Amino acid sequence: MNKKLTSRIAGGIALASAAALALAACSSSSSSGGSSSGGGSTTTLKLVVADYGTGPSNASAKYWDTIVSAFEAAHPDIKVNVTSIPWTNFDQQVQTMIQNKQYPDITEGDYFSNYAQDGLLYPASDVLSDPGNLLPAFKAQGTYNGTQYGMPFTTSSRTLFYNKKLFGAAGIKAAPQTWADVEADAAKIKKLGKVGFGLPLGSEEAQAESLLWMLGDGGGYQTAGKYTIDSPANVEAFTFLKGLVAAGDTEPDPATVDRTTLWEQFAQGTIGMINGSPALIPIIESAGVLKTSDWTSVPIAGKTGPLKVTLGVCDNVAAFRPNGHEAQIKEFLDFAYQDKYQLAFDNEYDLLPATTTAAKALATNPVFSPFLTALPDSVQYPSDTAWANEKTKIQQTIGTAVTGNPATVLSQLEQTATSAS
Amino acid sequence: MLALRRLSPLLWLGPAVALIGVVVLWPVVVMVQSSFQQIGGEGFVVGYNGTDNYRHLFDEPDFVSVLLRTVVWVVVIVSVTMLISLGLAQLFNQKFPGRRVTRWALIIPWAASVMMTALIFKWALDPNVGVINVILHHLGVVKQLGSAQADWLGNPTSALLWMMGVAVFVSLPFTTYAILSGLQGIPQDVYEAASIDGATSWKAYLRVTLPLLRPAIVVATLINVINVFNSFPIIWEMTRGGPGYETATSTIFMIEIKQGDVGEAASMSAINFLLVIVIVLVYLATTGWKEQVDR
Repeated sequence: MNKKLTSRIAGGIALASAAALALAACSSSSSSGGSSSGGGSTTTLKLVVADYGTGPSNASAKYWDTIVSAFEAAHPDIKVNVTSIPWTNFDQQVQTMIQNKQYPDITEGDYFSNYAQDGLLYPASDVLSDPGNLLPAFKAQGTYNGTQYGMPFTTSSRTLFYNKKLFGAAGIKAAPQTWADVEADAAKIKKLGKVGFGLPLGSEEAQAESLLWMLGDGGGYQTAGKYTIDSPANVEAFTFLKGLVAAGDTEPDPATVDRTTLWEQFAQGTIGMINGSPALIPIIESAGVLKTSDWTSVPIAGKTGPLKVTLGVCDNVAAFRPNGHEAQIKEFLDFAYQDKYQLAFDNEYDLLPATTTAAKALATNPVFSPFLTALPDSVQYPSDTAWANEKTKIQQTIGTAVTGNPATVLSQLEQTATSAS
Repeated sequence: MLALRRLSPLLWLGPAVALIGVVVLWPVVVMVQSSFQQIGGEGFVVGYNGTDNYRHLFDEPDFVSVLLRTVVWVVVIVSVTMLISLGLAQLFNQKFPGRRVTRWALIIPWAASVMMTALIFKWALDPNVGVINVILHHLGVVKQLGSAQADWLGNPTSALLWMMGVAVFVSLPFTTYAILSGLQGIPQDVYEAASIDGATSWKAYLRVTLPLLRPAIVVATLINVINVFNSFPIIWEMTRGGPGYETATSTIFMIEIKQGDVGEAASMSAINFLLVIVIVLVYLATTGWKEQVDR
């Protein structure tokens, strides 16, 4: 009898709490419904960004959170959700979102003209009040069929970093200027038990490292807008690299090693030379192993002398059309492209600005000005619609050219590029 | 009334049938359909393009080597797993102190996420600071840290061997439990009869235990073949199929090409699906599973 009663009470409590939960669920949904009917409906923007940070302390999500909270305070009707993705996965995750029709509103990272071709993007002029302020040097890269869709957000150029301490210990006096210098210096550093040249040909960014070597004897991915990946100059560049790898002057198996890993090892003082961007500087600083006087950066070595032009990379903002948030995107981008946020980004990651006004503000800065003056003449990646797929193929396979047959690997890549375009 | 009664099994079967239809059959239909459509990297269906996807796929210079590698991958992992599991199950079937604890411990590789296990092995194999390399270095097996020898995952052959090892490691628990339950189902009196007939313990194992274990072995092998064939996290986390596609199985290869061409990736999936079905049918035919069921 007593037992029955307690079980009844327990049952009652369970029922009551279930009802309470159900009510709570109802009320929470009705309150959000109420706010939308009450005139001030909120729009949520989905912002997907690449992570430039080296750890939690300078994660890019933090940078964007600062902008977003200031923006949301000024625009109570717009909420912004930030998703940050590491570079190693960025292209693939964004592409998966798009393949699955879960479109972001704004992306910041790699941009591909395919998205413009498919009509997924707003032109820059629709979502920025002053698109003319974007650096003109990068306009071509974001342009499809005469309209600019990709909006540069941050830019960088590449230089050759070397460890002066290791150079001193190996008895090397001058900075490497030619491929022969690189080969000789790397061999000397290898004798110290360190890695002579860090060669990241793994899938993270093999397309950048490869282009830097192709430029070394006048090659590149394209000549006059046509893919020429298997040109004699490119084959020669990879034949040189193959020799470098075979001699053990690089890290073992470059085809499987990513840039992030090698940059960290350079910062730990175990690599003699490596091609890098200004983004390597904060990594060196946070590792705390190399003093400022222990390393320096110079123009990248070419076959007969340092490169006159370098690879200029810009990461782009793209505004996606399918969710129909044009007005809100414009509000946000105008806000985020303010000079103060451009400069904050550049100071945080040692990267370069992408707007003319921000570049002017940095023109007198001794660290940034040499990079900035080099930007207008820089070489850039192809911008046609074949590039997105080609880049993936290059990232996956070009590293095998330094262990296998360079001519075969490059001609296979050329074939994929030309059959697609 | 009677007609309604007749229909009542449908009430019980219906949900399961519907679930299989929606979750299993429908995706297969869509997959096969996609493999005959032109679908770019952005997921837009341009239209039917006949067998173009299949032709592109067969033209991929790495296609044949990827398929061969997949076969080696499945055969090696499943057979090594079965052999070790037969031994392990025998061990766990003995009475010894702490048996309950060790049986529980065997679950761990199974309970842990495969992604996590693969990552742990990847870090442990880091050429400079990985714990496996450091130990091997102390033992004198690895001459120098950071050398080509220490870069196990950089060389396609050693990378494949290590990944097969990880795959065996994560397949052992399920297989061992499947065989263990088979062992426990064998009545004691058949062993008594065998020993009266003068069978040695090895003979008893070959002539009594193994034949009676056959249903358990057939099921465990089948499930392992399907799992290992479609195994994704281990290779994805440890090498991403690289260098090039030299450590990619057909599942990884499918993911790699999906970035640029969804249609071609779908045709790879369709071939995968077909291969699994063929392998399973051949296996069932050779093991005579009908006899097992009928008996």
